[in-house]
Amino acid sequence: MSDETKSCSTPSNPEPAAERSHLPMWIVLVMLTLLYLGGIYFDHHSGWFDKQVYSPYANAAMLESYQPQSGAGAILMQGKKTYEAICGTCHGADGLGKFNQAPALAGSDWVTAKGHNRLAHVPLLGLNGPITINGQQMSFPTGMAAMGAVLSDADLAAVLTYIRSSWGNKAAEVTADDIKAVRASMKTKLPPLTYEQVMALPE
Amino acid sequence: MKNGFVIFLAAFGVVLTSWCAFVLGPQLQLGGAKQVPVLNSSDVYPLNRPGEAAQGLQIYRANGCAACHTEQVQQDGVACEVVLTSAGKRNPAGVSNLVSTLKLTGLTELEAEAASDKITAAGGKAETHISATGVDISRGWGLRHSVAEDFLYDYPVQLGSVRVGPDLADVGRRLPDANWQMLHLYAPRSTVTGSAMPPFRYLFETKKKVNGESSPDALNFPKGFEPAAGYEVVPTSDAKKLVAYLLSLHADVPLYDAPFTQLSASTNAPAK
Repeated sequence: MSDETKSCSTPSNPEPAAERSHLPMWIVLVMLTLLYLGGIYFDHHSGWFDKQVYSPYANAAMLESYQPQSGAGAILMQGKKTYEAICGTCHGADGLGKFNQAPALAGSDWVTAKGHNRLAHVPLLGLNGPITINGQQMSFPTGMAAMGAVLSDADLAAVLTYIRSSWGNKAAEVTADDIKAVRASMKTKLPPLTYEQVMALPE
Repeated sequence: MKNGFVIFLAAFGVVLTSWCAFVLGPQLQLGGAKQVPVLNSSDVYPLNRPGEAAQGLQIYRANGCAACHTEQVQQDGVACEVVLTSAGKRNPAGVSNLVSTLKLTGLTELEAEAASDKITAAGGKAETHISATGVDISRGWGLRHSVAEDFLYDYPVQLGSVRVGPDLADVGRRLPDANWQMLHLYAPRSTVTGSAMPPFRYLFETKKKVNGESSPDALNFPKGFEPAAGYEVVPTSDAKKLVAYLLSLHADVPLYDAPFTQLSASTNAPAK
C-alpha cells in the first residue's frame, strides 16, 4: 500500500498511456481463416435462412427432393379421404348410394364409362332431374350440387380415380391434367346439368 | 470519458444489431405465419384448438409442465424406403428376383429413385416411402420434426427445454386414451412404472359414491390403485381441460417443410 502511494507520487513514473501499434499479421490470417470456415459451414447448414428449411435438410432443393411422390397408392388414399368427407355423405362410404338421396356408384355405367368427360362434369357442375343408370330410370328429388367445383384438380382427380377403381369398379385412372382440360372445356359456368345435357357431351 | 459518445454509439449499434437479428428478423420471417396445406390432402394444418383444450394450455402453463416436458421433436435424418406395390404381368418372377437383390431401406432420395427405376424397367411398380429418422423419432415421440406451424395458435408457446419426462409434441397421437391421461395425472405410477412425475391430486376430487353408483367421469383404476370402497375419484374441470389440451397435441401430419409418407391416414382433427 505504502509502496504504491510512493510510486504513484514519484514524478519519474508518470501514468502509463496506450500507444498505437500495428495489428499483427497472424490475427488477420486467423480471422480470415475463421471467416472462410464459417462461410463453408453457413453454406452447408444455414439453408439460407429459408423459413421452410429445417434440419436435417440442408437447403430448399434438398427439401423439395424429399417431398413424397404421389404414387398410385397415395392417390387412392387421398381420393378415399376426400370421397368419404364430401361424397360419402350421400353416395355412402360403400358406394352403394342412399335411397332418395343419391344413386349407387358401385357398378354404375356412368362411373365405369370408358371416358371420364361426362363423369367429371357431374361434380363440377351438379346434376338435376331424372337420370338413367344401367338402363334403369331413377329420380332423386334433391339433385346434386356442384360439390367438386371447390376441390383442386388433383383432389377431384383422386376422387374420380378412387370411385373408378373401388367396390369392384375397374376403369382407367383420371389425372389432374384431365380435370384441368375438362374445366377448360366448360367455357361458361352452366347451371346444374340435366341427363340430356350430360348425354350430349362427348364421352 | 473522452470517447463517451463513441462508446454509446458502439453499444447502441451492438444492441440494435442483435435486436434486428433476434426480434425483427424472426418477426418478418414468421410473424405472418398462416395455416398450411397438408401434403396429399385438401386439409389445412393446424386447426385451432377447441375451447376446452385452449384453456387447458393455461392449466399446463400454471402447473409448470414445461419445466419437465418439451414440445419439440428433433429429427436427425431422413430415409427412403422403396416398396414393391405390384410385380406386374410381364415378368413377375424376374421382378421379385430383382427386388431380393436390391437394397430397399435406409436409402437417400437418389438411391431410392435409382432402385425404383430399376423395378419399373423390369415391369414392376414401386412406391417410395419417406420417413424421418432420429433419436426422438425412434422413441416414438413424433413422426417428423416440429415446425413453426405446430405452435401457430398457442400463446404462450410451451416449448420447454428440459426433458425430465418425455416429449409431448405428439402425445395426443401416441396416448389417445383420456382415462390413461387422467390416471397418469392422478397417480403417475399407476400407468408408468417408476415414473418420476409428481402426482397432481389437487386436480381431482375423491367423493363418496351416490347410492353406490359411479359418476360417468369417475376414473377407471387398475388393480392396486383404487380408492377406498364406496369412494370414487372424479376430475375437476381443470383436469378435464388439461387432458383435452394433451389430447389435442397432434403434430402428426406431413407438411411441405416436414415431409414424410403417411402410411395410415391419421386425423388432423383435434381430439374430443
